[in-house]
Amino acid sequence: MRKTLTAMTLGAATAAVAVPALAEYPTRPIQMYVPYGPGGATDISGRALANALADIVPRSLVVSNRTGAGGATGSVAVRDADPDGYTLLFARVGSHTVNPAMNPNLPYTIDEFTFIGMYEINPVACVVNSDSGIETIEEFVDFVKETPGGATFSSAGVGTMPHFASLMVLDAFGVEDLADTVIHIPTEGDGQALTAVLQGTADIFCGSSSPALPFIESGQMTPLLVTSSERLDGFDAPTVEEVGKPELLALVGWTAIAGPAGLSDEVVEKWGAWLEEGTQNPEFNRLLTSGGSIVQYMSPEDTVQFVEDAYDVFRALVVELDLEID
Amino acid sequence: MTFLEALSAGFSLVAQWESIFFLGLGVLVGVFAGAIPGMSATMAVALTLPFTFALQPISGILLLLGVYKGGIFGGSIPAILIKTPGTPASSATSLDGYPLAEKGRANEALSMSLYSSCIADLISNLALILFAAWLASFALNFGPPEMFALIVFSLTIIAGVSGDSLIKGIIAATVGLILATVGLDFIGGTERLTFGSVELRGGLNLVPMLIGLFALPEIIAYIRNPSEKDQKVRALGHSVLKWVDFRRSLKSIFRGSFIGVFLGAIPGIGAAPSAFLSYSEARRSSPNRDNFGKGELEGVAAAEAGNNGVAGATMIPLLSLGIPGDIITAIIIGAFMVHELTPGPLLFQNNAEIVYAIFIGLVASSFLLLIVGSVAIRAFRYIADVPANLLFPGVLVLCFFGVFAINNSIFDVAVMLAAGFVGYLMLIFRFPAAPFLIAFILGPMLENAFRQSLLMSRGSLEIFARGPITILFWCLTVLSITMIIRSTVKAARLKREAARSAQSMQKE
Repeated sequence: MRKTLTAMTLGAATAAVAVPALAEYPTRPIQMYVPYGPGGATDISGRALANALADIVPRSLVVSNRTGAGGATGSVAVRDADPDGYTLLFARVGSHTVNPAMNPNLPYTIDEFTFIGMYEINPVACVVNSDSGIETIEEFVDFVKETPGGATFSSAGVGTMPHFASLMVLDAFGVEDLADTVIHIPTEGDGQALTAVLQGTADIFCGSSSPALPFIESGQMTPLLVTSSERLDGFDAPTVEEVGKPELLALVGWTAIAGPAGLSDEVVEKWGAWLEEGTQNPEFNRLLTSGGSIVQYMSPEDTVQFVEDAYDVFRALVVELDLEID
Repeated sequence: MTFLEALSAGFSLVAQWESIFFLGLGVLVGVFAGAIPGMSATMAVALTLPFTFALQPISGILLLLGVYKGGIFGGSIPAILIKTPGTPASSATSLDGYPLAEKGRANEALSMSLYSSCIADLISNLALILFAAWLASFALNFGPPEMFALIVFSLTIIAGVSGDSLIKGIIAATVGLILATVGLDFIGGTERLTFGSVELRGGLNLVPMLIGLFALPEIIAYIRNPSEKDQKVRALGHSVLKWVDFRRSLKSIFRGSFIGVFLGAIPGIGAAPSAFLSYSEARRSSPNRDNFGKGELEGVAAAEAGNNGVAGATMIPLLSLGIPGDIITAIIIGAFMVHELTPGPLLFQNNAEIVYAIFIGLVASSFLLLIVGSVAIRAFRYIADVPANLLFPGVLVLCFFGVFAINNSIFDVAVMLAAGFVGYLMLIFRFPAAPFLIAFILGPMLENAFRQSLLMSRGSLEIFARGPITILFWCLTVLSITMIIRSTVKAARLKREAARSAQSMQKE
């Protein structure tokens, strides 16, 4: 009896080992890392996507958080994984364009990842405290020019999207010597960065529009600018095209799926099809739009192009304005 | 909508079996999740969030609030029973809770912790309902300079948890401050003490440090010398909390609740500093001062009042300003947004019934916590009766799993083991662990607030005295340090006199 059992177990084990080589991807659950903390914007949208994909992907998707160092810990964990399609990352604008463009000491580069597809875009909004009396971006730029070294902007930390966004906007409006004219006040997240504007610790915040929306609706803050091509619901502010700065359209947040470099075409193609179908899920759309995001599917090729273009624009500006973190 | 209409609309939202069910379910989930080491209240709330998307708005929010409240109390259960704080906020509870459990008074400590939590929770909720507007304007005036002054004052509580030797406490705190700087520099983004390691860039995580420092030294001590504990049979943990003990702790409970409300209303501090501040204030003013740290019920009461007092008050900046005070409330904002509710002043105008339903639900949660907590204590107290040779291996396994699960990271497990080794050395050389931990928690806040302030003022130090709040905390700091010096000098003199009289007695 025992011998048969052993033989059977062995047989089953061999079969299990043999199967991946023959059968189609995926043959086992897929591990998906969120490089930011639980309950954050990336976490919520990532888990919502995994739910939408549950009926489409034949194996389960296991979403877990690898938090730390502004997304670097989770990104490195995925970069170092086997490129077999079973360890994937929710790559984010911060971890995969802004931080790589600003920080030459980052332990990874974007070339070390295979981008599979984008599914979410977050327009950036610039907001100020309503008590400041500033109502347009031009007024703010004048304020910055009149008080050199006096204006402050808050961010979610060094090398995050809001850190770069304020500088890019001010540069587009012709503010010179950014390192000396404006002062960066880093905080630990969008919530704290907005609190800083509310308390008067910082004069402006440019970042994802969704966390700012409640403060706009309640009249505590005034929106000056949005970087979407059309006006945003709830934001009574011009788009970057309306104010004649179309180059700022590149300044948007996004979330994409990525894997280690060298993922097979089979994996990339399958994921492209799954994402295209999953992003049409009505519940997923409702959830993301209620959080202020725009659901936008991009094919693997378009995603690579988009990320590289954004990186090039950001990197060029970082070099030009000497914004590197040292 | 008038006040009464909104109130009755809110009441009818809560007074449905469904709302009460989800609130109770939340408290239950929270208590058990909080009781698992490594599974903090924050994680429990984050994991519950996706389940609320499909619920009615009020049911979903009540579920999350229940998990939050339950989680903060639940953390005290393993803190008392196995010296493994379930959440950072409950580490102060283990200072006296675990010695009590060792003496076979686990049930007393757990009951005290529960009653104290519920009272503090209720006070905190009432403060939210009555003083929200006033406390919110206070929170709005609390910028980086005010934060810096408050944290400096909070660091003086190290003296209150240093045990026998203030010098050793200060050394432990200094090491904690240094270790807190590991990782990326917050302002410049440069690496500090990372030695080129990718994992260290993220810094040392709090929970692995916490579990390593508190739980592991006990276990290592047991492995090195098992006979000591095996022979010393632990009395069964079924003693009953006496009314006298409860009554004399009431003052500390109320004081702790107010400290919690005050610190909870300020965004960015959290429950752990509040628990320690409440504990050290209780020790300073208690007639049983010398018994603190050796198994004093009042210490458990003060610590738990301090951390649960925060729970209702963190809703003040959330509901009245739309600001998340800590990570948990940031997650709860997510739940509001998904249901297209806007937290902040608008909520009172547009969805007043939701606001009042939350108020009523919060008050109800204090009572539900009392019921669920009593049941949980009955279930968990048997852990105190498990013999050490069975209990400790189990705790060890739990620690490994819990710490790994936070971030799916083996590195965190290594941090826990290293912290455990340091903690064991501290135990041998009689260095207190609490100052180390407080400094480790407060260190980053201290540095961030200091450097943010200097950025605001372009390097001028005058900003640290910019208003009445900063000056108040500087005065409190000076007062506190003066009192510490006086009591240290007095203790030294008493010791000398005792030694002299002993000598003269010998001569005679």
